[in-house]
Amino acid sequence: MSEHPEFHRPPLIDGHKSLADVTRDICAPLERRATALWWWAFIAAVSALLLGVVTVWYQIKTGIGTWGLNKTVGWAFDITNFVFWVGIGHAGTLISAVLFLFRQKWRTSVNRSAEAMTLFAVMCAGIYPLIHMGRPWLAYWMMPYPNTRGPLWVNFKSPLIWDFFAISTYFLISALFWYVGLIPDLATVRDRARPGLRQRVCKWLSLGWDGSFRTWHRYELVYLLLAGLATPLVFSVHTIVSTDFATSVIPGWHTTIFPPYFVAGAIFSGLAMVLTLMLIARKALNLEDYLTPRHIERMCLLMVSMGSLVGLAYGTEFFMAFYSGNAYEQFVFKNRAFGPLAWAYWTMVTCNVVIPQLIWFKAVRTNLALVFVISICVNIGMWFERFVIIVTSLHRDYLPSSWAHYIPSTVEIATFIGSFGLFFTCFLLFCRAAPVVAIAEVKGAMQTGHGGHHESHATGQEAAA
Amino acid sequence: MSASLTYWRSLSERDGEPAPALDPTASRPADFSRRRFLEATGFTLSALAAAGCRPAREELALPSVTGVAGQIPGRNRICAATCAACPAACGLLVTTRDGRPLKLEGMPEHPLSRGGLCAVGQAQPLGLYDSLRLTGPLQRGQPISWRDADQKILDVLQQLREAGGAVRVLTGSTCSPSLRRMIGRFLGTFSDGRHVVFDSLGCSAILGAHEQTHGVRMLPRYRFENARAIVSLGTDFLGTWLSPVEFARGWRQGRIPTTDRPEMSYHVQLEGRMSLTGTKADRRLRVLPDEYALILGHLAADLANRAGLPGPSAPLPALPVAADEITALADRLWDARGASLVLSDSDDVQVQVLVNDVNHLLDNYGATLDTARPDQRWQSDDDSLSRLLAELRNGKVAALFVAGTDPLHNLPQSADLAEALGNVGLVVSLARWLDATTTAAQFICPEHHPLEDWTDAEPISGLVSYSQPMLAPLGQTRSILESLAAWSGQPATAYDIVRDTCRQQVFSRQSQIADFTAFWDQAVQTGFVEVEPVTGGPPAFNPEAVQWPTTAPATDGPRLAVHANVGMPDSRHAHNAWLHELPDPITKGTWDNYACISPALALAQGLADGDIATVTAGDVRIELPVCIQPGQHDRLVSVALGYGVPGTERFAHIGPDWFEARSGVGENGLVGVNAAPLLTWSDGRLSSTRSDVQLAKTGRHRPLATTQEHHSLTLPANTAPHGAPVRDIVQETTLAAFAQNPHGGTPHAHHVAGGELWPADHPPGDEKWGMVIDLNACTGCSACVVACQVENNIPVVGRDEVVRQREMHWLRIDRYYAGDGDDVRVAHQPMLCQHCDNAPCETVCPVLATVHSADGLNQQAYNRCVGTRYCANNCPYKVRRFNWFDYPHDDALENLALNPDVTVRMRGIMEKCSLCVQRIQEGRHEARRLGIPLADGAIQIACQQSCPAQAISFGNLRDATSAVAAARTSERSFRVLEELGVEPAVAYLRIVRNAEATDTHAEAAHV
Repeated sequence: MSEHPEFHRPPLIDGHKSLADVTRDICAPLERRATALWWWAFIAAVSALLLGVVTVWYQIKTGIGTWGLNKTVGWAFDITNFVFWVGIGHAGTLISAVLFLFRQKWRTSVNRSAEAMTLFAVMCAGIYPLIHMGRPWLAYWMMPYPNTRGPLWVNFKSPLIWDFFAISTYFLISALFWYVGLIPDLATVRDRARPGLRQRVCKWLSLGWDGSFRTWHRYELVYLLLAGLATPLVFSVHTIVSTDFATSVIPGWHTTIFPPYFVAGAIFSGLAMVLTLMLIARKALNLEDYLTPRHIERMCLLMVSMGSLVGLAYGTEFFMAFYSGNAYEQFVFKNRAFGPLAWAYWTMVTCNVVIPQLIWFKAVRTNLALVFVISICVNIGMWFERFVIIVTSLHRDYLPSSWAHYIPSTVEIATFIGSFGLFFTCFLLFCRAAPVVAIAEVKGAMQTGHGGHHESHATGQEAAA
Repeated sequence: MSASLTYWRSLSERDGEPAPALDPTASRPADFSRRRFLEATGFTLSALAAAGCRPAREELALPSVTGVAGQIPGRNRICAATCAACPAACGLLVTTRDGRPLKLEGMPEHPLSRGGLCAVGQAQPLGLYDSLRLTGPLQRGQPISWRDADQKILDVLQQLREAGGAVRVLTGSTCSPSLRRMIGRFLGTFSDGRHVVFDSLGCSAILGAHEQTHGVRMLPRYRFENARAIVSLGTDFLGTWLSPVEFARGWRQGRIPTTDRPEMSYHVQLEGRMSLTGTKADRRLRVLPDEYALILGHLAADLANRAGLPGPSAPLPALPVAADEITALADRLWDARGASLVLSDSDDVQVQVLVNDVNHLLDNYGATLDTARPDQRWQSDDDSLSRLLAELRNGKVAALFVAGTDPLHNLPQSADLAEALGNVGLVVSLARWLDATTTAAQFICPEHHPLEDWTDAEPISGLVSYSQPMLAPLGQTRSILESLAAWSGQPATAYDIVRDTCRQQVFSRQSQIADFTAFWDQAVQTGFVEVEPVTGGPPAFNPEAVQWPTTAPATDGPRLAVHANVGMPDSRHAHNAWLHELPDPITKGTWDNYACISPALALAQGLADGDIATVTAGDVRIELPVCIQPGQHDRLVSVALGYGVPGTERFAHIGPDWFEARSGVGENGLVGVNAAPLLTWSDGRLSSTRSDVQLAKTGRHRPLATTQEHHSLTLPANTAPHGAPVRDIVQETTLAAFAQNPHGGTPHAHHVAGGELWPADHPPGDEKWGMVIDLNACTGCSACVVACQVENNIPVVGRDEVVRQREMHWLRIDRYYAGDGDDVRVAHQPMLCQHCDNAPCETVCPVLATVHSADGLNQQAYNRCVGTRYCANNCPYKVRRFNWFDYPHDDALENLALNPDVTVRMRGIMEKCSLCVQRIQEGRHEARRLGIPLADGAIQIACQQSCPAQAISFGNLRDATSAVAAARTSERSFRVLEELGVEPAVAYLRIVRNAEATDTHAEAAHV
């Protein structure tokens, strides 16, 4: 541990910051008035959210028929968006938990916002299983609770029940992990705040943090344990989401590759979303020194490796369809590539497999504008991946008599916009309410010459005082 | 914790004060016991409840205090009746529950329909409960009392009786002896009275041809059950022609080959459009309607040659089809002399004379054409009708009574006719709904719905059937018999009229029962009686009548044919939403009529499905969406009659109400477009075909509301897997192949070696319900679809929802095409929940809303369903239906048609075929009540009961002696997607076509 391999690497943050600079820089967005940019973004996000609220209300009041689904395609935008948002969440957990366990210190600049993103993405995702039900007011029947109807239990064979547990566990752990990581920073904010509401709230939320050695020790232990708990979730949640499809009998869904394929895809899409958000945040919140091109580059490399895994999965699916000799399976894949929804399939391949290959060029991955464009492409591509898996498998399955087409209705599109509204509303509020970069963790990863991890944290608190 | 510790309950106890006495009444008023309290509470609550009630409305508060004999509340009462949906007069069993007729089913004992009932017949209860049905007499649109209406009509009639004036009664064909008697009696009171019969697509030419060849205006009864070779030129006898239920049942007799007797009748269809009958033919040739004469001429010449009789004096013009086809046809027919049948739907008398000649040459009269007990159901007479129209135009008619037909809608040049009707002194319509003719009528005197009325019918000579009222009339309507009696000046009740007719005309024709009352009671109870026929056999065939065709039809330019749709045979049913939503068996179209054209013609004209085209015929021009119909003649445009009916504006908003909902009607504000203006008068006959037709693209588009998007089991070329372009969902073989190997046609055995991987979830019990559907018998007529809809309270969703592919039918008929051009083959496959043993839907439901029953049913618990739709996604057969919206009836009165045994589903839940579990339960309870074992066949489910072709068997698969178990072990049995291992409980029997095992058939053993 005393070798300090960091000495051989470029610093993780730029600008020769002192510990006090870090605190000041990161807390600055919280302590000044919201900028006009923030307000415009907030108004846009809340408008989108309101649109979503109104359409969901209308849909629940009128019926699922307000969506574009039909007798053959029973899931489309709803579950596509669900898987999309769950997938986005995964990068947050990966960055905060898996990279933490691997001692990847560069993660410290991004983990806070990535975790927040996870939380909000899972909230967005969680809405869909609820509102996609024909009778959402009976959603609590998904919970196995003692009741007077027999008691009538849930069907533990159903992947939807597994989903229910997986997603709720994931949300709880993610929220806890995020909150625990926030505690030292909330204490910093508390200590800097003038007496008032902010101070009182932060005081309450920081659970009496005093920066003592013992506090730090316990904090680190809890954080490590939570990271250990969250790590399997990175893999289990999307594995279980993939079983929604893999356990069915529908060609294109019924396949054993889905768990790793979905996990890779989820991380891929999540990294893309983290990149998108980071690139916006570093500009908007003047955090260029903390979210440096080197961070972006590492994220890019992680993303392209995940993207290649996803591309491999696409190829494997095709090969297995060919190799299986199963005519239904072969048809589904030919239909994806050449059928009526081929445009969606090729959008997916272009965005997820072809475009990310540009990242191999250093010139591309260090050009932040290009990275931004690529990250948006991957976001789009990963949405289409879920759309392709769900809709192209359903719309032409076994009996040609029941083949159907799917066109989303305005209500579905508005609901999707609404989920972005929820996500960005939450994210913008988060930017104003908590430090978007983990102050304490960044300080721990800084080369201040003081060596020890804990001292730097301790000085962080002094500097804040 | 030592024992010396003492605990105290209160400070006073610790301080040694005495504990309060445990007197239970001490704390309450001594006179207020628990009982008193409850009494007081109960009184207060009941007083509050009573105060909240308004006085009950009298008609709601009075139950039927006096019980009706034999009627138990909540139990079905089944009465025999006669179907009045079309002139075919099939035998009915009407299920009535608590005074409400709910379900019409075929009467198994009826000699003609033998248990079958078509889709139109099944859909009749909806009309009974239609609040737009006229509820009382109207004068010029204003309600009037019957007394006043009768008085005013009688005043006019009295003048006519005195002054003399032409009185005409125009009806559709009717075989009711009472109605004919009453019309005769009514017209007899005038010096110039005449009864004119008009059916929009009648068989006037057949009647006319027999007048020429046999000297009697007669329609023989067609006995398909006796026919070993059937050659049909355009007749859709399995779908819409004359009496399809009876014909389908007869046709079926010869169509089921067995291992012991690998024989089938040979059925050839020569037609221009793709008819339901054409889909079932062994050989189908595409010919135009104006080519029938020449084909029949050649056929007759060939057969006359074989019979050693003189043929045509001059050589006939060249055949429009290959000569060896006709020779082959003649071979088949000649081999089956005396057991063959040649038919045509042509409205040309000369063509029908040739048909008679061919049937005469083949000795079919007396064998497959019964002239001893001829068919009395169809009497339309184009001569008589054209005379009436001339009289109307010349202002010679003083009074016109119209019943059971809508001439203004169904005749061409209706504007002239409407004007002519304006000049008639008295026009009385007896229509049940407002229609085109009622707008021209001074008086509308609506008749009862047939279920409210006493009626009789004599479909074939010597078979008289009866119908009794199933409920008191819902409105102030009146039986047509009573109206005619009143206007004749001799008022009588319908009951007396029908009974008197029975006494006078029927009772005397039998000798088994001497007492009339006993005879009458039996006739009404059984629904029909068989007595001596009135007419004897017809005089001999007159060969002089035959006129050989001399000219060949033009070989270019499109032709137009107007036809009837299976689900909407004529405009009388235009108010029936069930029928509008019933997918046409061939096109799968709903809620519209359209111009069917062949793929080649569509390509030539640059038209796609749903493109709106202008059909110009003479000076008539109508706009219709195009429907591309494989198997259609490349020079034929065909359009269905019975659409564009005034009053169908009501269906504009029939579907769910939401902001993207689109109107259910077309640009004209109606459902479909009236094709009757395309009919034409030529040589004094009302012709449904014409050659002066043009088709032009308008550039506009309206999506067709079809329930099937893909039409073939052959996969699209760009997505078909290598070596597996066709799916073996429907299996088909030829008779020759079947005779060699009855198991042939099974493409490959998909069974996994070693059987099931997992132990059986469902241990075998004594009962396991299953179904077998014989695809060879199934004609695709869709009677089962409506039967299921009526039985199971399946909602109508409206045109827009069908376009969105959300129809709710639990039972659908999948239709697949194979081949193209001249060799288009069609397969029908009823598809419903397969009640899989390893049901994929059951494992994925998170809340256990769909589970397996001990007797093998896949059950759906509606009130547990939360609507994730996972089950429907995971269903390989896509038979589950989701309630996307609430689908309330737009007419609250229609709720009376709901089956009280079946839950009405709310929105957001899944539903599907339950194998009529309510009927299974009822059958079980009945067996238990009677203390007998449940017999095979005691439970008849809705689709099975009324199948005209008896294609469906249902029962206990564990009972080796059951019909379904026997069918399950048939050589032709297969299960759809068996290789998935879901173990469906529904099996199908392979289609067998009576053909040699040609290369094309051997290769494509499945469609």
